[in-house]
Amino acid sequence: MLREKGFNTFVIVGGLTAWRKAGEPVESVPENDLVKLPTFS
Amino acid sequence: MFSLMARHGYALTFALLLAEAIGLPFPAAIALVAAGAAVAAHALWGPYVLLAAVAALLLGDTVQFWLGRYMGWALLGFLCRVSINPETCILRSAESFYKRGKVTLVIAKFIPGVNTMAAPLAGSMKMRFWQFLRLDFAGALGYTLTYLAVGYLSRDFLAAILRGFHAAGRAMEGVIVAALVVYALYRVVQYRKHRMYRVVPRVQVQELAARLASEDASHVLIVDVRSHGYYDSGGARIKNSIRIEPNNLEEEIKNLPKDKDIYLYCT
Repeated sequence: MLREKGFNTFVIVGGLTAWRKAGEPVESVPENDLVKLPTFS
Repeated sequence: MFSLMARHGYALTFALLLAEAIGLPFPAAIALVAAGAAVAAHALWGPYVLLAAVAALLLGDTVQFWLGRYMGWALLGFLCRVSINPETCILRSAESFYKRGKVTLVIAKFIPGVNTMAAPLAGSMKMRFWQFLRLDFAGALGYTLTYLAVGYLSRDFLAAILRGFHAAGRAMEGVIVAALVVYALYRVVQYRKHRMYRVVPRVQVQELAARLASEDASHVLIVDVRSHGYYDSGGARIKNSIRIEPNNLEEEIKNLPKDKDIYLYCT
């Protein structure tokens, strides 16, 4: 869909797992991006 | 199924319902309908069938509950990978808990997809075990009684269908062959659709890392397309990446720059 809309798009092979395995930098997901599931405790 | 049910009814009911409860794709509802018909035909005794079914569901769900408690997202992710639609799997189940809360456990068994996920989700959401057991028991009892009743009440109808199958042997073969052809066509369409997705160029991590280290880095935008259901407290993402919600792509796309190369990733 992104390509149909004219975006030059690529897919990273192996995703986040491959990125981590290669030792590339990661960061914590910001709090406001987290959608927490309800807890019943 | 019906003759098998008459011979090994209790064991078969227990085995099929346990298999479904632990996430395997077995026709537990059909087994219950068959068992209900067998009860109506006096081949099985209703209370024993009910006991076998509810015990199997509670056992399987309890295992899933504790696995969900201790394995969390790892188990949920695995269960979703073996489902028909992995991307919506966790979302659908989680949304059901959002909307209906604990009652989800009572009705989950009637909702395909949610039925397998409800017990491990309750475990991962730290529901108290006795509370879980009470709600799950109510759900298991309702589910079992409903399908047993369907089988019991429609015994004559089911018998007529079976007689019809025998009488219309050739026609049934034709129907089965047609169904197989339709299924094969469906798989071909799915295959072609996935081939289309492969047109999107793929890059290795090293290639992208090298580009990020070059002067060209400002023309790169890394986008996390995992759905929010995959996020958990303490989750990580590629440094300086942004997140877009794949289920809301029409809206999200409006904020993406067209002058940058977009690199997408998921788990």
